[in-house]
Amino acid sequence: MSFLADIGHVLLTADLWRATLEAAALLLLPALGGVISERSGVVNIAMEGMMLTGAFFAVVADLALHNPWLAALVGIVAGGLMALIHAVVSIRFRADQIVSGIAINIFAAGLTLFLVQRIYGLQDVGHVGQSELLPYINIPLLDQIPFLGRVLFQQNVVVYAALVLLVLVQLTLFRTRLGLRIRSVGEHPQAADTAGINVYAIRYGAVITSGLLSGLAGAFLAIGISNTFVPNMTDGRGYIALAAMIFGKWTPIGAFIACLIFGLGQAIYDANSVIHVSQYLLSMLPYILTLIVLAGVVGRSIPPAADGIPYAPENE
Amino acid sequence: MPLGSVVFAFVVGGLIVAITGGNPFAAYQGLMCGGLGIGCANGENSALQISTTIVFFTPLLMTGVAVALPFRAGLFNIGAEGQLLAGSVACTVIGIKFSGLPAPILLPMVLLGGTLAGAIWAGVPGVLKATIGAHEVVTTIMLNYVAQWLVRYLIVGGPLQAANGFSASSPIGAGARLPLFMPNDPGLIIFGLPAGVYRVHTGLLIGLAALVIFAILLWRTSLGYEIRAVGQSQRAARYGGISVARTIIVTMLIAGAFSGLAGAIQIAGVDHNLTDKYFNDTTGFDAIAVALLGLGSAVGILFASILFGALHAGGSVMQADAGISSSLVQILQALILFSIAANFLRLLRLPAFGRRPSAPAPTAPAAALMTEAAKAPPGETT
Repeated sequence: MSFLADIGHVLLTADLWRATLEAAALLLLPALGGVISERSGVVNIAMEGMMLTGAFFAVVADLALHNPWLAALVGIVAGGLMALIHAVVSIRFRADQIVSGIAINIFAAGLTLFLVQRIYGLQDVGHVGQSELLPYINIPLLDQIPFLGRVLFQQNVVVYAALVLLVLVQLTLFRTRLGLRIRSVGEHPQAADTAGINVYAIRYGAVITSGLLSGLAGAFLAIGISNTFVPNMTDGRGYIALAAMIFGKWTPIGAFIACLIFGLGQAIYDANSVIHVSQYLLSMLPYILTLIVLAGVVGRSIPPAADGIPYAPENE
Repeated sequence: MPLGSVVFAFVVGGLIVAITGGNPFAAYQGLMCGGLGIGCANGENSALQISTTIVFFTPLLMTGVAVALPFRAGLFNIGAEGQLLAGSVACTVIGIKFSGLPAPILLPMVLLGGTLAGAIWAGVPGVLKATIGAHEVVTTIMLNYVAQWLVRYLIVGGPLQAANGFSASSPIGAGARLPLFMPNDPGLIIFGLPAGVYRVHTGLLIGLAALVIFAILLWRTSLGYEIRAVGQSQRAARYGGISVARTIIVTMLIAGAFSGLAGAIQIAGVDHNLTDKYFNDTTGFDAIAVALLGLGSAVGILFASILFGALHAGGSVMQADAGISSSLVQILQALILFSIAANFLRLLRLPAFGRRPSAPAPTAPAAALMTEAAKAPPGETT
């Protein structure tokens, strides 16, 4: 029973909920990328590799340029370039998108480790100075609100960005012409093509966007939450984001709710000194919860109709 | 096509080494030496290198089948890694609990336990796919991570951690260990080294038998016919009186059994206890490349396994001799996957300048790469 008492005690602290939102934002960025990519009909299980690439190049750039903003930009672009490979292979060459995604993840893990040893030798990558990290910003006045101020308004700049992007992606997908086009390409590309929509352009754009968002998440992880690059430091977060996307039934808001649930698990994990349960058992939670959702316990989770099917025009 | 993909990967990989200031020829000489025992520059023992390669490729024979068999049914089993870990855990638990039993009883027990655990781990995605259509790619990915965290939990502060404080379980009993081919006799010198250093174990025979069983199952049994029929067209199979749901579940159970057996054999034949080495194990992921490169045939899986076993064994020699990170092996593996999946090589067969390149073949689901069903409509097989 002391376990439940401990949980109850921790749940009442603002720090736990602040950490929950931070962990959720880190997962939300690649999850949004996954939603956009899959809504356009390209299966994306490569967020893990794109995040890892973004994390590595953000650290390399920050160590060289001593500017976290430029470093984050480098990380974002690096994630986008990884996504471009996935896009070319799966759209232009109509490859199996799952094989391509697996290849991206293996490629990113191998390439970052390879470059660590080429650039920095066999030693550590080195640490980014405190002043060269993506900053935590307290919003004036709002951060003084009891409890909520700590939870919502004393966050990293990337957390605010992620929340803005959440609203943007949700509105774009469901309230704009561009969003309608993305969804129609993902549901019925032949019909979209007939209606004059450039299926390839939409899909390239969507996949690359998923890489940019994942790259930002990688930069956040490496030079915001942490201050260095460690091989394989994403440690499955890209796959948790994939789970969040499915859990949220391919909607941005749904994915965000899933990220909050998974983030709470992560925050409790980090508060482990208070709670006496194995961190490793807690780490299984996102995956088990997603299996339960997939098992249909909370209603069916159905992907876009043309998800994973390369588009080949009739007249070719 | 498979050979071309390997050549493509080595060319691009060599370019990556050269661009980053390394010597690709020295790197590949190190790989050759470490993997095949050929062209060694620093006095490595060829026989020892070849035996290391064999130890590395033995589990791939089984995990390769675990990916290739579902491919034939139009299923993509990304979960060979999780299934393998389940097998390793079961083998370890049984091997410790009943460590006093003699080998004729205990060895079959640990191998069977691992096989069953792997089958269960793959059976869950099979049932979810067959009953409510949950995509097996996603469910097997989730179960990979559940298995990985389970292993971490068990040996870091969990019930399997040995008392010594290391991230490892106690060793399994002597009766649970697969015999080595070479006797562990310090006086016996073979190819210039004591016989005990060659770690090739009898699991190799089990792996080769797995390939034979796979080929017979697929081509000489009614179940194999049903698997291929479901892979080519679920609708046609259903009209033909085949229970698609049953075939999917049985296929996944068998696939998981092969992976679980591989996991048990790694414990029983190589490591003898569950260690933190298993956190970063990639045998189940390598299996995807093995199955694709081997075009889903038993002979193909054999050669692809040897290639990847040699690459892994060669990586460490390359790092020591040529100063090139062994992670180049992962890069090569990814390039092989890209090349197979995208069929880059058809670019080389494009018509001469001025003519419009022929359109790429329509939709190529991974399963279609290795079945005659390549012409089936997209979506039908997946």
